[in-house]
Amino acid sequence: MPDALALYDALRANADAAYAAWRNPERPRIDVAIDQSSISNGALRTRAAIERVVAGRNAAVDLGRVHGYGIQWLHPLVQVTFPDGATVLYGPVTPADAEAIVDEASGRWGAAESLRIGTVTGARDGVPSLRDHPFFALEPRERRLLRNLGLTDPESLEHYIARDGYRASARMLGRHSTEDQIRTVMNDAGLTGRGGANFPTGVKWNFLFGAAGEDHYLVCNADEGDPGAWVNRVVMEGDPHLLIEGMLIGAFGTRSKQGYIYLRDEYPLAIARMEQAIAQAEAAGLLGEDILGTGLTFRLRVIRGAGAYVCGEETGLLSSIQDSRGMPRVKPPFPAQRGVFDKPSNVNNVESYANAPLILLHGSDWYRQYGTERATGTKIFSFSGDIARVGFMELPFGVPLAKVLEVCGGMVGGELKAIQSGGPLGSLLPPQSLPKLILQGDSFSPWDAIMGGGGIVFCNDQTSVLVLAEMFAAFVEEESCGRCTTCHGGNQRQTEILRRIIDGRGRREDEPNLKLIDRTLQFSNCVHGQFSPKITRNLLQHFHADYEAALRGEDPSLTMAGLYRVVVTNQYDPALAEAVAICPVAAFRGPAGNRSVDDAACIRCGACIDVAPKAVGKQAKARTVALN
Amino acid sequence: MPLETESKVRLRALVAEFRPNNGDLLAALHRVQHEFGYLSAEAMEVIGDQLGLFPAHVYGAASYYEEFRFEPQAHTNIRWCSGPACRLRNGNGIRDALLASLGIGHMNGQTEDGRVGVILGQCNGACEVAPMVWLEQHETHMIEPVGNMSAARAVRMARALRDGATIEEATNA
Repeated sequence: MPDALALYDALRANADAAYAAWRNPERPRIDVAIDQSSISNGALRTRAAIERVVAGRNAAVDLGRVHGYGIQWLHPLVQVTFPDGATVLYGPVTPADAEAIVDEASGRWGAAESLRIGTVTGARDGVPSLRDHPFFALEPRERRLLRNLGLTDPESLEHYIARDGYRASARMLGRHSTEDQIRTVMNDAGLTGRGGANFPTGVKWNFLFGAAGEDHYLVCNADEGDPGAWVNRVVMEGDPHLLIEGMLIGAFGTRSKQGYIYLRDEYPLAIARMEQAIAQAEAAGLLGEDILGTGLTFRLRVIRGAGAYVCGEETGLLSSIQDSRGMPRVKPPFPAQRGVFDKPSNVNNVESYANAPLILLHGSDWYRQYGTERATGTKIFSFSGDIARVGFMELPFGVPLAKVLEVCGGMVGGELKAIQSGGPLGSLLPPQSLPKLILQGDSFSPWDAIMGGGGIVFCNDQTSVLVLAEMFAAFVEEESCGRCTTCHGGNQRQTEILRRIIDGRGRREDEPNLKLIDRTLQFSNCVHGQFSPKITRNLLQHFHADYEAALRGEDPSLTMAGLYRVVVTNQYDPALAEAVAICPVAAFRGPAGNRSVDDAACIRCGACIDVAPKAVGKQAKARTVALN
Repeated sequence: MPLETESKVRLRALVAEFRPNNGDLLAALHRVQHEFGYLSAEAMEVIGDQLGLFPAHVYGAASYYEEFRFEPQAHTNIRWCSGPACRLRNGNGIRDALLASLGIGHMNGQTEDGRVGVILGQCNGACEVAPMVWLEQHETHMIEPVGNMSAARAVRMARALRDGATIEEATNA
């Protein structure tokens, strides 16, 4: 029987050679960062432009691909790797910059100076190291989960292997560890569920290992549905083999032969890269039947979701995999007792699995070097909203959120009004919580809040917190599976009440009714119903003055539809004609010089203000019915 | 008289590789929608046959998900992002401007001539370009993300598409 490690060493030797040639190429190589965010910033057009320039000149450079680093406000990113191994990063690179990039890559150093961000590896005079960028100030100097971003082609198995990929699992498969040891090291590391629930991963694996029967299923929850969170996407698009290896380790530790990655439909590139990576791993003998000659089997498959938030709840997800409506059910039985196809199953988040190869390779003490006593290791977070620098980072647990806001460049467009964490079932925190919050779940508890899966949105004072609450209420209403009356009925009522208040028709009894709905929703069967009133509760707890003002008919942000009107502020501004023309509902009345906006026709879309901000504006409007 | 309609023969070929009790339903539905743009009653029947499920079960499952459509789709869909970063920057205004410009009464509707539709989109984490929409064409499988939207740009884009503009023209409108 061939030894697993010998087979791995053969793979590794090839991979090392291929990677060395990529790191120190014979001629300069231009890599365009291709990921979902880059694409939204036009990275494909940038790449096409560079390709045209290179082809047109027959330039002596090659082209390649990487994943972005997290500095998304600088997308599209392009990096050039020179034959000495130095890699310089540029951004934002538009198609118009293609000439300059190709110039700089082909030896005209200085041509793209204004686009330089920093060096990824190696050194160049006058170019700072990327790691010294203030955005990364809170990250460990050596990234862990994100260690391969920018340093590998995410679509290359060889690159992953050359960076110690599959090394830990090859040792494991070569029987240098037992199933028990695998689960023990995860427990010793203190790895907990990264989806937001924080349940110890090793304990979950113990449940599945100890479950009856031979057919154990391992499931990855990649249905990252919280708007504002794209932590799992980064792992799957940036380093897909890290997730595969993590699941392979989980499969070994729980004696599972079949695995599913339930991946949301909104991540087409992640789906493509995961499916490609699975095929690569199978072809290399690292996945499928007889893995590395050990006789062990682990088949892995991507299940593409179709837009149902509640499939992120584990029983809903399992139901969705087995050809049914993805409706959560009552637990128990828990998945470890009855999961996919009624067989014992375990569901973990993408990031939970992604930690496993690193823990197995470096040990639990290494893992605990970062984080706190109660939350060990690092976690990926995505930060968005009204901040200067939108992106993602890998941070040790325990980092103060105020410092995060600092490295994100602070608020733009207004003062901090609210912090939104944990998605639509999460929280709305007031500005005074900021100095006290650290990135660790229990630090959010005093605010009746949760940290959640890693998405944090900073909101400025140009939006009403009631409008925010209504948006999340409408989301959870729409995504309720419909099984529990508390949830589908309660969420309809909650949304209707908030909408009526926004419309300037709030009532005194709305608050007690919202609290009644909150209490009732606690009796829903799953977390969707139970957590769905949390944001509205936070609104009443932390933003009561805003709530009261809204009832009175006051909204300083002028975003509550029923409490402001659009008015002409300058009859003689030449842009006013443009405002009249852009109005999609023809709400302007009167001749030039005597224009007005018909409030009943106006839909408050703001198009007129966009084109003529000095001729049209918002004006507060009192509520039209008395408050009683 | 042929025993089966042409579309049914095509459907059967499309889903031939899928098996019962194998977690194949979502994949089969995606495959058919990718090809036809929507899921017809005939498709429920054929997929049900293939997977050993009643058509009612297939429809029941499919209708649970936002992304499956049961009517032919508009030539071009504007997918409006409903994420929080987009909403903080007048996302609601952009949505209302799109619907009003096209004379569409509600989300997931389309113009009477079937040229343009507006559908609900979810955050995929490109929040640095918020607010955003995607322009999608089923026929060509083309998807064009358009960031840094405004309500005014939404009106221009919707009017251009309504008047027959290409995706590229609409993006630059």
